Amino acid sequence: MTWVAVRLQRTETLITAVILLLIAGLLIPTGLSMAHAFSHDRLSSCVGLDPSGSCANAVGEFESRFESLFNLTAWFTLVPGIVGVMLAAPFVLELENGTFRLAWTQSITRRRWIATKLAVPIATGLLLSGVLILLFTWWRGPFVHLNGRMDASTYDSEGTVVIGYTLFALGLALVLGVVLRRAVIAITLAFIGYFVSRIFVDTWLRQRLVTPVSATWKSSHAQPANIFHADIISVTGPGLVQSQAGPVGSGSVHVRAVAPPFPLPSSSLTHAVYQPPSHFWPLQLTETGLFLGIALVLIAFAAWWTHERVA
Amino acid sequence: MSRSRSALLADGLGKRYGSKWALHDCTLEIPRGSVTALVGPNGAGKTTLLQLAVGLSKPSAGAVRVLGRDPRDEASSVLPQIGFVAQDHPLYRSFSVGEVLKVGRRLNSSWNDELALERIRRLDVPLEQKVGTLSGGQQAQVALTLALAKEPELLLLDEPVASLDPLARREFLESVMEVVADREMTVVLSSHIVADLERVCDHLVILSQSRTQLIGPIDEIVTTHRLLTGPRTDPAIVARVHQVIRASHTERQTTLLVQANGHVYDSCWELHEVDLEEIVLAYLGHRREQVAA
Repeated sequence: MTWVAVRLQRTETLITAVILLLIAGLLIPTGLSMAHAFSHDRLSSCVGLDPSGSCANAVGEFESRFESLFNLTAWFTLVPGIVGVMLAAPFVLELENGTFRLAWTQSITRRRWIATKLAVPIATGLLLSGVLILLFTWWRGPFVHLNGRMDASTYDSEGTVVIGYTLFALGLALVLGVVLRRAVIAITLAFIGYFVSRIFVDTWLRQRLVTPVSATWKSSHAQPANIFHADIISVTGPGLVQSQAGPVGSGSVHVRAVAPPFPLPSSSLTHAVYQPPSHFWPLQLTETGLFLGIALVLIAFAAWWTHERVA
Repeated sequence: MSRSRSALLADGLGKRYGSKWALHDCTLEIPRGSVTALVGPNGAGKTTLLQLAVGLSKPSAGAVRVLGRDPRDEASSVLPQIGFVAQDHPLYRSFSVGEVLKVGRRLNSSWNDELALERIRRLDVPLEQKVGTLSGGQQAQVALTLALAKEPELLLLDEPVASLDPLARREFLESVMEVVADREMTVVLSSHIVADLERVCDHLVILSQSRTQLIGPIDEIVTTHRLLTGPRTDPAIVARVHQVIRASHTERQTTLLVQANGHVYDSCWELHEVDLEEIVLAYLGHRREQVAA
C-alpha cells in the first residue's frame, strides 16, 4: 500500500520538490555571499552594540545591500501553505475520480488504506518543512546576529512553526476535499483559509500567546539595551500618540526606529510592551502546538469522514 | 470455514440517501456458480446493491451476506474472495498498465500474476503504456484483469459494458464467458442493456423502482412467460390463474404478457413465445407499440 500511495503522490512530490529547489537555488548562493560579506566586514564584532561609527556604516551597508532580498523572503511564509494543500491532492483526487472504489475492493481494509494515504503526505510534509527550516535558519544567520529573530519573516520561517503551518494547510485541504470531493476547489479554498488564519494569528493572536513584558524609560534616553532586538507590541508616551502596532513580527517598529514627531520634554516617558527575544521559544512552541493541534483534529475528521461517509 | 450455498444473500436490504431509498426492501438469493444479470433502468438500485455487497456502503436496513459473511464487518476475509469492477471501471490513469498490475500485486494477498500477464498479453497492450491512453474497451479489460487475478469466488461487475462500443462490449462479455468456463466462479453483472446478456448469463434479477421485480433462472423465466392474443377480454379473468405482467388492447383484440402458472388451457388464446428482452421490458413497464390485429 505504501508503494501505491507514494506512487500516486509522485506529481505533488515533484512539484513541491521543484518549489524547494527554486528556493534553495535563490537562498544558497545569496546565503553564501551574505555569510561572506558578514565575516569579511567583521560584522560579528558589531553584534549587540548600539551601532555607531564604523560599525553603523558597516551594518547599514550590509543591510541595504541585502534588504530587498530579505524583504522578498517574507513571501516564503506562503510556502508551507502551498506545500500543505498540494500534498492533500492525491487523497482528494482518489475520491473525486472514484479510484478509491478500486483500492477498497482489493484485499486491504479501508482503515489501512486511509492510514497509509494520510501517513505518506504527513511524512512528506514533515520532511519538506524540516528542510525549509534548516535552509532559512542558515540563510538568515547573519541577519539574526544583527537583529534577532523576532521579526515576522524570520519568526515565521524558523523554529518549529513551519511544521505546524504545513500540517495545518494539509489538514484543512483534506477536510474540504473529503467533504466536497473536488480537489481543485478544496485546494483553492484551503489555501485561502490558510492565508486568512495566518493573518489572524500574525496580527492578533500571536502577541497574546505569551504574556509580553513591558519597560518604561525616559524618552530623551536611549532605549534599554535588552529590548534592542525585541519586537514592540506598543510604544506610548507623551507625543507618541500612535500605538505602535505591532504584533511580534511586524518588524516595523524597532525601538531605535521610533522617532517622536517633535522634540519631547525631557521629563516624558516612553512605555513599551514587547516580546523579548527570550520569548522566542515559548512563542514558537505555543504557536506550533496550536497549529499542530488543529491540524490533528482536521486530519482525524477527514479520516473519520472518509471511513464512515464515503462509498 | 463455513460454506454457504448462496454467493449473495440480501434480506430486506435497503439503502437510504437522505429521505430517498436507493434500494428498498430487497430480498434475493444468488446461488453459487451462477452467472446472474442484474437488470434495471438507471437509478433502479443496481449500483447500490453491488456496493452494499462489496462493503463499500453500509445498509440502512436489512442485511447482506456475501459468501456467508458480512462484507463490512468481515471485510478482511471477504475482500480477498471478491473481484469487483466498479461502474466506469475506475483506474489510475497516470499509471502504466504494468503499474496497475503492481497495485493488484501489492494490495492483494492472493494474486495470480501469470494470469494477469497472460490476459494483458492477449489484449496486445504493452505493459509500459499509460492506462489513460487506452481505449475504453481496453481499460475495461484491464480493470477486469485486476479483478480476475485475485482468483475470486465471486465476481461483481457494475455496468461493465455500458460505456463500451458494440464490438468492445462483445469482446468484454466473451472474456467473462471464458473465465466462467475455465473456473468455478459466481458472477453478478449489472446492466441496463439486455441484449447480449442472454448468451452470458443463466440467472436474472430485475430491479426496478428500488425493488426486486423478478428473480430466477433465465430458461425458467423464458419458458413460463407467454404472450397471449385473443378476443378483447378483461385481463382480470386471466389474472385469476396467471400473473399478468402487461396488457394491451385494440378494438377487438387483447394481448397479454403473462407469467403462466402451468399450462394455459383456455383455447380462445393464441400462445406465443417471448424473448427475454421483451419480458424484461414488460417488467420495467416500458410501453411498446401495440400489436395490430
